[in-house]
Amino acid sequence: MAHHQVPRVEDTKITMDGLGSKVFGISALIGVVGLAATVGLGLAEGDGLQHFAFAYLLNYGFFLSISLGALVFLPIMFVTRASWNVVIRRLAEVTAAVMPLMALLAIPVILFAGKVYGWADPAVAASNAMSHKAAYLSQGAFTTRWVIYFAIWVGYSLFFWRTSVAQDKTGDLKYTRRLENFSGFAIMACALSIAAASFDLLMSVDPLWFSTMFGVYYWSGGFVTFFAVLTLMTMGLQNSGRMEKIVSPEHFHDYGKLMFAFTFFWGYIAFSQFMLYWYANIPEETSWYLVRTRHGWDIIAYATLFGTLLLPFLGLVSRYAKRSRKMLAFWAFWIIAAQWLNLYWVVIPEFSETLTFHPMYVTGFVGIGGLWLAGITKLAAGNSLVPTGDPRLDDSLRFENA
Amino acid sequence: MSANATGGLYGLLTEFDSASQLMKAVEKVRDEGFQKWDVHTPFPVHGMDEAMGIRGTRLPFLVLLSGATGLGLATLMQWWMNAVDYPFIISGKPLFGIPANVPIMFELTVLLSAFACFFGMWILNGLPRWYHPLFTSRRFRRATQDRYFIVIEAQDPKFNLERTRDFLASLGGAVVEEVNESAED
Repeated sequence: MAHHQVPRVEDTKITMDGLGSKVFGISALIGVVGLAATVGLGLAEGDGLQHFAFAYLLNYGFFLSISLGALVFLPIMFVTRASWNVVIRRLAEVTAAVMPLMALLAIPVILFAGKVYGWADPAVAASNAMSHKAAYLSQGAFTTRWVIYFAIWVGYSLFFWRTSVAQDKTGDLKYTRRLENFSGFAIMACALSIAAASFDLLMSVDPLWFSTMFGVYYWSGGFVTFFAVLTLMTMGLQNSGRMEKIVSPEHFHDYGKLMFAFTFFWGYIAFSQFMLYWYANIPEETSWYLVRTRHGWDIIAYATLFGTLLLPFLGLVSRYAKRSRKMLAFWAFWIIAAQWLNLYWVVIPEFSETLTFHPMYVTGFVGIGGLWLAGITKLAAGNSLVPTGDPRLDDSLRFENA
Repeated sequence: MSANATGGLYGLLTEFDSASQLMKAVEKVRDEGFQKWDVHTPFPVHGMDEAMGIRGTRLPFLVLLSGATGLGLATLMQWWMNAVDYPFIISGKPLFGIPANVPIMFELTVLLSAFACFFGMWILNGLPRWYHPLFTSRRFRRATQDRYFIVIEAQDPKFNLERTRDFLASLGGAVVEEVNESAED
């Protein structure tokens, strides 16, 4: 079909309608039940909720990384003045703008810091190896930093979302200019704060281990997961009869390219981090990998190598796969599962040196994921699903891969 | 001048004023079953590949193949050099430890893929090529400005000077012009 009908801007006035409250209700219910089940299972462990704290950290870190991926995606689109994404940008905006909820959900991480983080153990904190880090890795400094991170993230995510929503009504170009002007700083501020937050959230579980690449490792995992989530969100909305006219295989092709590219980017970073430590073979650097490649954890290490990097790389390499709806959906689900598996391999070995799995990890996923999705749906339901006032919307509708 | 001096007939050219006129004509040429023909426009026209019925390129398979070759070569080379030809223990590592070899495996995969992509594109497009018969047509110069052209080559199996000329004339273009292999002057 050579002259396929180019959708008109009028076709983009789409809202969630009744679907919004339905999805919100179901996911909020699942979230609350899931979280309650996690707490119940945690209490049943009889370890003062220590195992629960790890399960919570794993899943909180996972969903936070997805929203952070969205938060970085937005300013990159603005500084590059990209138009392809406009038709689906509102979905990224609400995925990022759920940040106030993520700030609330961070409270248990801070409260349970003593159960999870090595630096909270007085014996470790008093050791020589910790002496120069003790001031930075302390409960007070930790909490203060989280306040700063969320000030940055909540501020920027609400700014992107609200400015874009304001433009829906008037279509005024000043909003686009404002978004573009603030995006450069947003990228820098978010990059630095995400790197620092990844050190606090996941790396400092073992306070003696350090990796300068850890920030990119955490961020790139979240970034690729975000594109997988975006793909499934778009498909879900299309299956409900929304946006099916305006999001074309060309847009899905771009989702595929981004998932492919950042699958490999993540793998490149993950391997670089590993290879340098393997080669130098210095005890304080290899300790982290040593724990994660023994007593059954090596199985997960290999599963990550193949599941998170090599298989999705081969699966998404061809143009055909990127343009096939079914294959794209398959790999989107796969990437979400694989990135979660990788985070499981990052977090849980600090709780148990032998391979262990607990239903809590799954209920925690469902719980935090449910609340997270409910928050996103709530934001999405209030306004148009497409930034109808954006000057590049028409370009986005006509977008074709050359 | 005899026909020999001009190098014979290259093909027939027809000219259009707009991309929308061109698209309709292009679909007719495609449906007529011509194989050796091409379209020239001042800018990329969306949907042209489909309108012309161009099949997907074979280039990705070439790239995949040479990428795999690069991966294999790098593995073989490092194994032979480090573990067979000159075994030498460096910082207690195995003679053939995969992590240490991955960077070269990665680089050679990328290098050979890039070569296949770049030079494969040349070969599939018939490049390098210093001269094209269409350069003999004065009219054709506006292909880089504001005119749209369809050219059917004389080598096409379905080409017949009279019938193809009539066919092109029926497409609604401004003129039908014969293009020779080389210029008369």
